[in-house]
Amino acid sequence: MSYLIDNTEGAQYLLMGNEAIARGALEAGAKVVCGYPGTPSSDIIESLAKIAKDMNIYVEWSTNEKVAMEVAAAGSFAGLRSMCVMKQNGVNVASDFLLHLAGSGTRAGMVLVSCDDPGALSSANEGESRFFARLVEIPLLEPGDFQEAKDMIKWAFELSEEIRNLVMVRSVTRMSHASGNVKFGKLPPGDVHAVFKCDGFILDPMEGAVMSLPVRYKHALQQEKIKKAGEIFEDCPFNSYHGPEKPEVLIITSSACNLYSREAIGILGVEDRVGLLKLGTTWPLPPELLKRHLSRTDKILIVEEVLPFLEENVKILAAEMAPEIGIKTFHGKNDGTIPAVGELNPDLVVGALAQIVGIDYKPVPDEYAEKAEGVPTSRAPARELTFCPGCPHRASFWSIHNALQLDGRKGFVCGDIGCYGMATLPCGFSTLKTLHAMGSGGGIASGFGKLGRLGFDQPVLAVCGDSTFFHAEVPALINAVHHNSDFTLVVLDNSGTAMTGFQPHPGLKVSAMGEDVTSVDIAEICRALGARVEIRDPFDLGETQETLNELIEDKAGLKVLILRQICALSPEKKAGKKYDMTIDDEICLGENCGCNKVCTRIFRCPGLVWDKEKMVTRVDDVICSGCGVCADICPEGAIKRKEVA
Amino acid sequence: MKVFGANELLEDVFEKNLCIGCGACTYLCPYFRSYRGKTAILFPCNLTQGRCWAYCPKVEVDLDDLSERFFGRPYEKDPLGFHRSVKISKAGRQVSEGSFQAGGTVSALMSFALSKGYISAAALTDREGLRPVPRLAQSTDDILRCSSSKYTASPTLSALNQAINEGHNQIGVVGTPCQVLAIAQMRSNPMGDKDFSDPVSLVVGLFCTWAVDFREFDAFISERIEGSRITKVDIPPPPAEIMEVYTDNGKIEIPLDEIRELVPNTCSYCTDMTAEFSDISVGVLEGRPDMNTIITRTERGEKIVDEARKEGFLILDDIGKENLEHLIWAAGNKKKRAFIKAKQEGMLNAREEGARCYLRVRPETVEEIIA
Ligand SMILES: Cc1cc2nc3c(=O)[nH]c(=O)nc-3n(C[C@H](O)[C@H](O)[C@H](O)COP(=O)(O)OP(=O)(O)OC[C@H]3O[C@@H](n4cnc5c(N)ncnc54)[C@H](O)[C@@H]3O)c2cc1C
Ligand code: SF4
Ligand code: SF4
Ligand code: SF4
Ligand code: SF4
Repeated sequence: MSYLIDNTEGAQYLLMGNEAIARGALEAGAKVVCGYPGTPSSDIIESLAKIAKDMNIYVEWSTNEKVAMEVAAAGSFAGLRSMCVMKQNGVNVASDFLLHLAGSGTRAGMVLVSCDDPGALSSANEGESRFFARLVEIPLLEPGDFQEAKDMIKWAFELSEEIRNLVMVRSVTRMSHASGNVKFGKLPPGDVHAVFKCDGFILDPMEGAVMSLPVRYKHALQQEKIKKAGEIFEDCPFNSYHGPEKPEVLIITSSACNLYSREAIGILGVEDRVGLLKLGTTWPLPPELLKRHLSRTDKILIVEEVLPFLEENVKILAAEMAPEIGIKTFHGKNDGTIPAVGELNPDLVVGALAQIVGIDYKPVPDEYAEKAEGVPTSRAPARELTFCPGCPHRASFWSIHNALQLDGRKGFVCGDIGCYGMATLPCGFSTLKTLHAMGSGGGIASGFGKLGRLGFDQPVLAVCGDSTFFHAEVPALINAVHHNSDFTLVVLDNSGTAMTGFQPHPGLKVSAMGEDVTSVDIAEICRALGARVEIRDPFDLGETQETLNELIEDKAGLKVLILRQICALSPEKKAGKKYDMTIDDEICLGENCGCNKVCTRIFRCPGLVWDKEKMVTRVDDVICSGCGVCADICPEGAIKRKEVA
Repeated sequence: MKVFGANELLEDVFEKNLCIGCGACTYLCPYFRSYRGKTAILFPCNLTQGRCWAYCPKVEVDLDDLSERFFGRPYEKDPLGFHRSVKISKAGRQVSEGSFQAGGTVSALMSFALSKGYISAAALTDREGLRPVPRLAQSTDDILRCSSSKYTASPTLSALNQAINEGHNQIGVVGTPCQVLAIAQMRSNPMGDKDFSDPVSLVVGLFCTWAVDFREFDAFISERIEGSRITKVDIPPPPAEIMEVYTDNGKIEIPLDEIRELVPNTCSYCTDMTAEFSDISVGVLEGRPDMNTIITRTERGEKIVDEARKEGFLILDDIGKENLEHLIWAAGNKKKRAFIKAKQEGMLNAREEGARCYLRVRPETVEEIIA
């Protein structure tokens, strides 16, 4: 049984931030939890899905973030504490509902967890979700350590019920994915009875209709709620100050930056010169609390990641309070003391702080730096981003690339986020030429496909993954069919949300909780839309390329090619190799005219290695996953595959 | 001979729009492929020397070199190229009926060579709809199925390269003059391969003044036939000046002037009307749709023609003076026009260190031709 449901009060566990958030939801008695996979947020739903049945909670991977928030809202409306979880840009997807939900208000506590990814370690954007809290006028909390990650979730539910509105909790990669000790509280009793009361007076918040209308009335109500939250924040246990009564410099920070700032003060040994105001409640800022701390000094350093959210909000308050607290000098992102983009780390904060307090600090001693210079790095092989050995995407893009080259009309592919986004790079033969939000490939292609009358004559392709198809591709396809836009969509169906760890999606027969569910057939949806649909195995290179060329030439509007092959890393495939691969040295042409290393120079599956001494290609048996595709790449038949018995 | 690689082929031929899509550079390796009448490069190749560049008939063709190699003398101004005889001919009684373009001489020669074992297979040109499809014929039936002219440029030599890959080493080929030029370069082992042995046993060239671009032709015709199926395409002999397209909904006639618009620019640099580096070349005969003009060039060509006649595969006759004069006039015209154009555009005998050009031939010969 999972330690996450250990009901011993005071038990201590080393938890990842995301697990702490999950435990917090359990201690709060959350009953409905939904999300859409996206690093760094995915582990929250995953860890809850595993224990969902034991704890009698409902957990789902929803089709997209907007639907996740809607499903969670239904829980709240029915009197159940509910939570929805997503990564930063997921909030953009959910934002239309978010705006209306913030206007209608909630019933049982409802929490939105957004995990941001400063530095875009696993994202195609460095999005900032905190502004949504200000934008839609809901309270925002940011945990500053792992214990808080758990405790703050529980507190957020209580706050949500106090003000009857959604509360947003924002984590970041280094909070979600790092681990720390967490002390457990009690789990509440499990009995609940879900019911949606809706026959009361229409404006009754607990028994009337749930809606953002009448707008002026509801908007005013919403502003009262956020004001109340601000008042509660004045005494919130998650805001704390450490440091001298009158420091030279006051650091204001939140989230993982709290940890970096603490470390920086320690490293510089300026505990008696620098004060640290760590905020857990970052929207709305509690004015009285800020006034107290801003009064301590004239020099303020704001340490935060992504956008200067705290900085701007503090500055507004400081401007309003200037007659009382005096004029302050602010350091942060705006004046460049803190880098404008990318993740922070203790070193960067040390650098910023040292500059302000006038300490000449070198993060690395000269002697060490010299030594480090001398260390040979050349033996570490240069690595570039690439698809895994046996990845179906490599085969798919090989065929897409070849089909477009054969066609010769300068065709291109529009895509979005997923492992296949790497097809912008040589590992995908640089085939992908636009990459934006989930489902944007189809939407952009739908646009290109209408430019014929304006002189456009390049063939247009779009790619999306199977999970993305459900998430956001369908409206683009409807648009394309309706407007008779001419393009070919290639669905790279690897049977799971591979990039984020094989979470199930609507195309599969099993849910997050392991229950049997109805699978939705991508091909049938496309056929119903009126598209011509073909299904191929991307490992059959010849057929795939031929089909692609046929579809590209077919001017009948929307064409869909589903390339179906399970991801090389999928749990189903890990079992073993389909083929044993060998290379016949006698036949291998190597660098000679007639091949010139097409396998290791162009196709570049990591399972193939160029033997510089013998001037032939070798198979690295440890890395090769035995997909057999390279045998069809070799022009000489030197790469042999033998079916594993 | 200087040899360069795929990057130079792209620069010298593709980027200058000189590729006719003959197929000589395809299927030598994983990089060049032919698709719907166009040659495509799939991935870049960084070798400094390669067969793709060496075989291409549109870059660094040394006519003197080739002529020395095949005929033992430098290239001369003769409009018909080096030849032993010019006659007229048609298929003999040993050849089954086929939908021949004219007298069926080409199909007859190929059938004869195959039946005698002089060749083990023939790289020919079939069609699917309007699209020319290279085929490796291995029986008389296959040869007959490929009869009749496809007026679009065809990647016929991709069938030759595939046949060589499959290990054939006695191959017959029928090709247009540019294709025959590419074959001549292939046969002269430009890469200096130690194990080289000539896989080609018989080359029959077709007369040609131009071919049309398949993709443009396809689009042009599709607009005019609205979905009907094409059964045959013919250009009746002058003075008709039309192309006849037969479909299952009847025949349409298109003025040749409209068709000439679809001829790729590269044909205007082609100096060769009669496939001068073949064993035997065959064309139509003015005024006699049932006969061909036949030129024999090599000893082997002469021997095969002679045997084919003796064994009833070929019927030969003398060519009339007027027909011969007309042939020489037409071939001379094409040659002169092309040499003038190529010279004007600086495509002959580039002299600067490392410079590459289209043709190399003694400047005196050029002057004689364009005089
Ligand atoms: C593009 C083109 C232009 C021509 N222009 C002229 C011309 O201007 N003057 C002239 O006298 N003759 C020309 N010919 C030649 C003529 O049309 C006949 O092919 C020739 O007379 C042989 O006739 P046949 O009855 O012996 O051919 P058949 O016995 O019918 O055999 C025809 C042979 O031609 C081959 N072939 C067909 N199309 C092509 C192609 N596109 N590329 C390569 N091989 C092909 C086939 O493989 C077949 O073996 C041209 C041919 C082509 C293909
Ligand atoms: S593709 Fe085949 S011939 Fe070419 S280097 Fe690889 S193994 Fe050798
Ligand atoms: S079989 Fe070939 S392509 Fe597949 S994983 Fe092994 S080396 Fe890579
Ligand atoms: S050099 Fe050789 S291997 Fe390279 S493209 Fe040309 S024919 Fe192919
Ligand atoms: S060899 Fe033929 S197909 Fe290849 S580039 Fe030259 S003309 Fe084009």
